[in-house]
Amino acid sequence: MELTRKEFLKAAAGATGLMLLQPASIAMAKESQTDAGLAMLVDITKCVNCWWCYAACKDYNGLPETIKPDPSQPPQLAPDVWTTLYTVRNGAEWIARKQACNHCTEAACVEVCPTGALSYNKLGFVQYDKDKCSGCGYCVEYCPFGVPQIETNIATGAAVMDKCTFCHDRVTSGEPTACSAACPTGAITFGQRRDLIAAAKERVAELRPSNTGVRLYGDKELGGLHVMYVLDDSPEVYGLPGEPAVPAAASVRSVFKWLGTGLTAVVLAGFGLNYVVARIRMARSEEK
Amino acid sequence: MAAESRVVERFRKRSIWFHWIHTVAFLVLVITGAILFFPGLGAPAAGGVTRLVHRIAVVFFVFTPIVYSILNPRMALHFIKETFTWGADDFTWVTKAPDYYFGGDEEKMPPQGNINPGQKMWQLIILISGALFLVSGILMWFFKDTLSPEVFQWSVIVHDVAFILAFLMLLVHVYLGVLHPRMTESLRSMWDGRISKSYARNHYGKWYEKLSGDK
Repeated sequence: MELTRKEFLKAAAGATGLMLLQPASIAMAKESQTDAGLAMLVDITKCVNCWWCYAACKDYNGLPETIKPDPSQPPQLAPDVWTTLYTVRNGAEWIARKQACNHCTEAACVEVCPTGALSYNKLGFVQYDKDKCSGCGYCVEYCPFGVPQIETNIATGAAVMDKCTFCHDRVTSGEPTACSAACPTGAITFGQRRDLIAAAKERVAELRPSNTGVRLYGDKELGGLHVMYVLDDSPEVYGLPGEPAVPAAASVRSVFKWLGTGLTAVVLAGFGLNYVVARIRMARSEEK
Repeated sequence: MAAESRVVERFRKRSIWFHWIHTVAFLVLVITGAILFFPGLGAPAAGGVTRLVHRIAVVFFVFTPIVYSILNPRMALHFIKETFTWGADDFTWVTKAPDYYFGGDEEKMPPQGNINPGQKMWQLIILISGALFLVSGILMWFFKDTLSPEVFQWSVIVHDVAFILAFLMLLVHVYLGVLHPRMTESLRSMWDGRISKSYARNHYGKWYEKLSGDK
């Protein structure tokens, strides 16, 4: 992947311009409250594998500090690694995709979380409440992107999970996410979802002639991801599922939840009826 | 009817101990599990304390039957044999059971052995759900990291199905044993092991006949 100096400057300027526009757009999103208006766009073709997003995320969120990692052994997502680069070897070079919670609109993790520790916040992002987490790890097993990671003690079952918050306190006070602010090439942009989609489509149209593999990913997947990607190859190359879906087991499970609850209610009501009828009939037959 | 002296030995001490230890273990498992199952009840699971309790309880739940079976191999075999032995009388009993449990004539029921088909069904459910719980539970506990996510996802569902089966039948078991107007001596018999002659005759006719040699 080549990034010319001119392109770099252009991208940087673009990112800065976008940042200047943000306060107003955030105010709009706040007004509507339920509008999932804010999002991020990761343009893989602009990523130079510098790991600034990784460092900025760690720094801002107070996670243990790390230096720029060896791209051949990139850090995996973990309770203290909320964003990392999924690296792919391309000849002599390493190319990368920023990897973090995609904040799905239809999130499997929220669907299966039994305690409500994972939920959608007012901006439409997937938020995680550590105090409510039971450490069951269902989110880990159901997320189609393999994002939530948990460290479990096998004997006691004590577990710790943590993940990207979409820089909740930053975006609600009008600032961009830490990773997008740190990105020097404009590979990570932050703003109104519809603006980002428009920009992404433009970018795809621009790159398509030289590479037919270029595509936008995440605008429609799982009801629309809040982190979208401009990819220059099939999603699988970058460790993304081609057609992400909430696993069938999650829907089966929610059916069973209600089935179990319903049947319990029916059975309990049946006992009441049985008790009364049996009492009356037994009393009658004793009178005879 | 004057209180009749309860002189027929129905359960032995060790069986009663086993029953109640197993009951407590299962109730703890139900409570610590159900809060994850019923939507909106998950708050107590926060912090994962219930996960630890669930793991401790399951050790009792799994090992009490094993210990009991080692100490009483004949009783254990008898339990299995009874559960899977179904005769003509059993099927007649099943067809007549609804009327009987809704207060119908007791005389219409075919006489029963040590346990009736309803109890056989309960034992069957215990064995089936126990196996489902055990296999899916072991997969989720010990093989989480080595198995594919799909196996884990379906293990959760198998655990759910086993729970629905076992929990509903537990409700029936408790209702019949404790509250049903007809089962006047069930709960007490699981406490001190004894029932009255007339209760034995009415509920477990064949068994009582064999035991006492009279009718």
